[in-house]
Amino acid sequence: MTDASAIVASIREGMIPAYVYSDPDVFELERERLFGSAWVFVAHESEVPSPGDYVVRRVLDDSFIVVRDEGGVVRVHFNMCLHRGMQVCRAEVGNASHFRCPYHGWSYRNDGRLAGLPFHQDAYGGDDGLPRAEHRLLPAPRVEAIDGLLFVSLAADGPTLREHVGDFVHYLGCYTHQSDAGLEVRGPQRWRVRANWKIGSENFVGDMYHTPQTHRSVVDIGLFREPKAHKRKEGILYFAGAGGGTTYKLPPGDFTERMRYVGYPDDMIERARAAWTPAQVAMVGDDGFMVSAATLFPNLSFVHNWPQVDRDGTVVPFISLRQWQPVSPTETEVLSWFAVDRQAPDAFKRESYRAYLMCFGSSGMFEQDDVENWVSITQVSRGTMARRLRLNSRMGLTSANEAINQQVPGFSGPGAARVGYSEFNQRDWLTMWSSHLAGGPVERVHPLGPRQ
Amino acid sequence: MTGYEPSLPFDDSRHLAAHRFLVEEAAILDFGDWARWLDLLTDDVRYVMPVRVTTVRDTGYDTRADMAHFDEDRYALEKRVQRLLTDHAWTEDPRSRTRHLVTNVRCFPGEDGDDGAAGTVRAESSLLLFRSRGDTRDAEYVCALRRDVLRPGSDGYQLARRHITVEESVLRTQNLAVFL
Repeated sequence: MTDASAIVASIREGMIPAYVYSDPDVFELERERLFGSAWVFVAHESEVPSPGDYVVRRVLDDSFIVVRDEGGVVRVHFNMCLHRGMQVCRAEVGNASHFRCPYHGWSYRNDGRLAGLPFHQDAYGGDDGLPRAEHRLLPAPRVEAIDGLLFVSLAADGPTLREHVGDFVHYLGCYTHQSDAGLEVRGPQRWRVRANWKIGSENFVGDMYHTPQTHRSVVDIGLFREPKAHKRKEGILYFAGAGGGTTYKLPPGDFTERMRYVGYPDDMIERARAAWTPAQVAMVGDDGFMVSAATLFPNLSFVHNWPQVDRDGTVVPFISLRQWQPVSPTETEVLSWFAVDRQAPDAFKRESYRAYLMCFGSSGMFEQDDVENWVSITQVSRGTMARRLRLNSRMGLTSANEAINQQVPGFSGPGAARVGYSEFNQRDWLTMWSSHLAGGPVERVHPLGPRQ
Repeated sequence: MTGYEPSLPFDDSRHLAAHRFLVEEAAILDFGDWARWLDLLTDDVRYVMPVRVTTVRDTGYDTRADMAHFDEDRYALEKRVQRLLTDHAWTEDPRSRTRHLVTNVRCFPGEDGDDGAAGTVRAESSLLLFRSRGDTRDAEYVCALRRDVLRPGSDGYQLARRHITVEESVLRTQNLAVFL
């Protein structure tokens, strides 16, 4: 059996036991102690805009129907008939007032209540044997939303979603709240990769160091606006609340000029200025940092990037949400959505979508090379030798455990922020992960509350 | 989904030329001669592979209208080829061993709404892409229906439109660093 406390201790030293990327016992602990209680993303509200609209999503093996009921409330039902356990919804997207089980015909309203069943009187003696009003599809224990992002927790108790997210909300809003109308999302693209789910989460939470190597081809062909991949080290890495991420340092300028640099049209810039907090505006306008990749613990990641989308060198930014949905210790389903501010001009939405398809997602030229790495890591982590290897994740630390990258004084955002290549973020993410596995209190490296 | 439409006879010269085009194109892709593949495309080429979804029968759609795996013009396809031709496209170095199996070719005269007087042909084909990487991984497959529009150029047909209906809603391939 896995010694979770040994994993915790090793990660405290910045050394990751390689086997955690494929070990079945670790996966079972993740199922029970992490995904059994964590806030896990299931859908964005814009995917179910009208009454009856639904999508079906999973938390590991648990299938959930995310549906807007006739009263406009978004509900999350466990997709299993109360009678014999058949899935009452076998499509992944659609619109329905009711879900009828194909096995024996029990049917449920889209708010989850049992509406009817065949031969109710003959078979059950009516409501005496089976009181319909007392039966409904099992609801997800807790459902909460932030900026339209819907999360479920399989635990009845625990921190609220807001408490979980904490100060990461500052960075989250740069993706999800570019105007008061919020996001609309399209997709997802879905594909399965033979890689452990953690690797994607860790990569997006703070791996600026891989860009010049892994993504060199994308720089070679001039797709990326930033002509030199080593510019990556001028960005800050931040970790706040339950999330961390990477940024790019933008050329000198004020808020408007820097937003224009990454390709936003003036009307979107003004809406963002109005929607964002002074600290969010200052992070771009005064500090000159633009959010890039990020991960909200455990398995929801974000991308913001600004490629050149035509021969004239037109720069257009895009946003993507992606979930690393565990399938097994060695397989992950990637769900990747394109996201754009709802009030963006149609022409911007079109071009931003093209930019997304070229860069990220199932065919994206950045993402292609990422997945190649992750599949390879997972495969080679299964053997005997990998059990003896602890991966060096100590970047940014001296041998005496002193930080090489100092925190940035006066930075406008919350949490810890450091310029340059380091693995503080990956260690922070892994610390949260391993403390879940150990079953103890979840260690939070950067607890709630703004940085002074 | 469009309904059934009878195809051109298999000995029709247009069918023979279109079929040859598809088989030659498959050979070029399997050789990895991507620059030559670009020569087969018109300047206004559109290359689209929508995301497939599982829906109940009367929903009226089984692809997403607003999300695709590919939605490409010539610029985007050129960038993909340029990338594969760098020395740093790691996901294809070492190369995948691919085989584009093209079958069930059916051809129809003209584009939608024209009679084919300009020599344009619509070609429908079934594709099974086999992709093998390394020595320990399971092979990956992508199965799709392709609907193409082929236009006569100075040197035979050119591909003006490709619409790829993939049969899986969740792809079981690590990425689409391949052309279908």
